[in-house]
Amino acid sequence: MIFRAVEDADLIVRVRKGDVEAFNHLVSRWEKRVYNYLLRLTGKTEDSLDLTQDVFLKAWQNIRKLDDTARFGPWLFRIAHNEAYSLFRKRKPDASTDDADYTEREAAPGASPELTLSVNAALNRLNPEQREAVVLKVYQGFKFDEMAEILGCPVSTIKSRLYTALDLMKTELAPVAGRGGR
Amino acid sequence: MTMCEKNETLRDYLFDELPAGERREMELHLNGCAACSVELEQLRVTTSMLKTLPDQEIPQRIGFVSDKIFAPSLFARFVAALPKYAALAVSAAALLVAFNHPAPQVKMVVQTSAGVDVSKQLNEAVSAAVRQAKAEDAVVLKTALDEADLKHQREHRMLAVTLEQSMEVLQKRIGVMTQLASLETPQNGAGQ
Repeated sequence: MIFRAVEDADLIVRVRKGDVEAFNHLVSRWEKRVYNYLLRLTGKTEDSLDLTQDVFLKAWQNIRKLDDTARFGPWLFRIAHNEAYSLFRKRKPDASTDDADYTEREAAPGASPELTLSVNAALNRLNPEQREAVVLKVYQGFKFDEMAEILGCPVSTIKSRLYTALDLMKTELAPVAGRGGR
Repeated sequence: MTMCEKNETLRDYLFDELPAGERREMELHLNGCAACSVELEQLRVTTSMLKTLPDQEIPQRIGFVSDKIFAPSLFARFVAALPKYAALAVSAAALLVAFNHPAPQVKMVVQTSAGVDVSKQLNEAVSAAVRQAKAEDAVVLKTALDEADLKHQREHRMLAVTLEQSMEVLQKRIGVMTQLASLETPQNGAGQ
């Protein structure tokens, strides 16, 4: 991770000097992560693709505003978060991701269909803030201070959302775990 | 099983968010607290179940900055190209000086300024480019004329063949009609 951060910082320095290839390199490094974050947020392939495109366009336009090059990841995901919520607001005044559909997500090879359905259902039952906290921590592996930067709220709030979500999911998935669905 | 007071710290431990000192403390605590050990195991099972939904591949690549949509603005391109225009600017400045000052100073510029060399090189480069463009145009024109000529010849040949075939058909018809006429004439004579 340290080497990766150093390399990202180096690429950003080159991008700021107008090196287009360096930005291409950054895109190819981060596009899958950003796309999957947005896919787990919106539940829709087309929306996630469009949003990912917008995120990298905004990143290209604003990369000079990034204060700390070592924080490129959280900065990029902050853009992604804002883009997603901007879309939700356009479609629904109450900015909700409740209509997201996770039932079509594929499972890892070897995972049982029952487990896949149960995990999708459990994720669907979380509220949007809890779900996003789970996505950023469990699937994207961000630290709490990075999540605070992405979501623009205190670490205590993020911990509260995440741990409540985790307790709910633990209860929800316990029967499946008991049947050896893992 | 009763919940331990270290419930939140346990979750921080699970996500590797504890400083080294507190982490060691938690490991010691876990050795003696059955409730926390069970809770930790359940949380680990839950997170590993969540991870059975893997990341998906992007259905199509994201547009890169080399694509049109990401193309730098006109101003950005101008700024990036500034060094290339520096020599041109020097020669332009030299020309400006030459126009604004009498002959001796022009002579001085010619003798001393590196911009004049640049100007000469520029003129030569422009002349070469014009020559090359003209040569390319001539080649394109010749190719187009040759193609048109070939096409015209092909069409001429096809027309000649068609005419020849039509003539043959016409001649055959005339032959048949002549035969029919010769057959009809004796019958008419016999009837009279």
